[in-house]
Amino acid sequence: MLSHVRELRERQGWSQGELAERLDVSRQTINAIETGKYDPSLPLAFRIARLFGKRIEQVFIDDDAAR
Amino acid sequence: MTRNRRRALALLVASALLLLVGWLGHVLAWPIAQTLLGMLAGLGAGGLLLALLLWWSPDICESTQPALQRRYLREFMPAMLGYVLALFLSMWLLRTFELPDALRALVALLPVPPIAFAVRAIIRYIRDTDELQRRIELEALSIATAGVSLGYLSAGLLQAAKVIDVPASAAMIWVFPLVCLVYGVAKVVIARRYS
Repeated sequence: MLSHVRELRERQGWSQGELAERLDVSRQTINAIETGKYDPSLPLAFRIARLFGKRIEQVFIDDDAAR
Repeated sequence: MTRNRRRALALLVASALLLLVGWLGHVLAWPIAQTLLGMLAGLGAGGLLLALLLWWSPDICESTQPALQRRYLREFMPAMLGYVLALFLSMWLLRTFELPDALRALVALLPVPPIAFAVRAIIRYIRDTDELQRRIELEALSIATAGVSLGYLSAGLLQAAKVIDVPASAAMIWVFPLVCLVYGVAKVVIARRYS
């Protein structure tokens, strides 16, 4: 699943490590989410969206809708 | 070269030296206990494998939250050190003294409590790590247990057919190290899918 996590993170001036620390996950997990290699669980996706002050559908791109 | 790859290189050199010392000591019959030489060689071989894994997966050190990693090392390393010391003590006591059966059993099982603490550290790590790491751990542990079980089943069938003849004590004692080895390799391979 694609997402806007990288752009939102860079807009905040955070490194992947800093974002990982704020979400209490590993840097590897952040990297996997940003590269679309891992789809986060619903609770984690909500935490990410809440951290950036966005709705979940503004952060994560629905693959089916995008097609 | 990244910092982790420099660490891998340093570990490779140190491990190769340990392995060389262990092998040379055995071949040249140095006046040092063979058990100690064997342990040095074993540490060297283990270090070589770890160096290769670290080289191949340089971001493996960022696979967990730093605080959790510190807690894991704080719990795991003393347990493993306790295991090595208990193992040496157990082997020395069994070789030096004629003990009654019940006491022999207790002395033989001296290394088990430290290993139990190491396993506890691993379980606590897996329980508290993040969702992606738990997925990787589950897949790696599944491959390790299934793979080693299949290997032992095959070896058992060969032993029953008298094709091989492996001493029972050697066969039993290698289960845990083999599971750890296969788990380690599987974890690196699986983690690369997400990096």
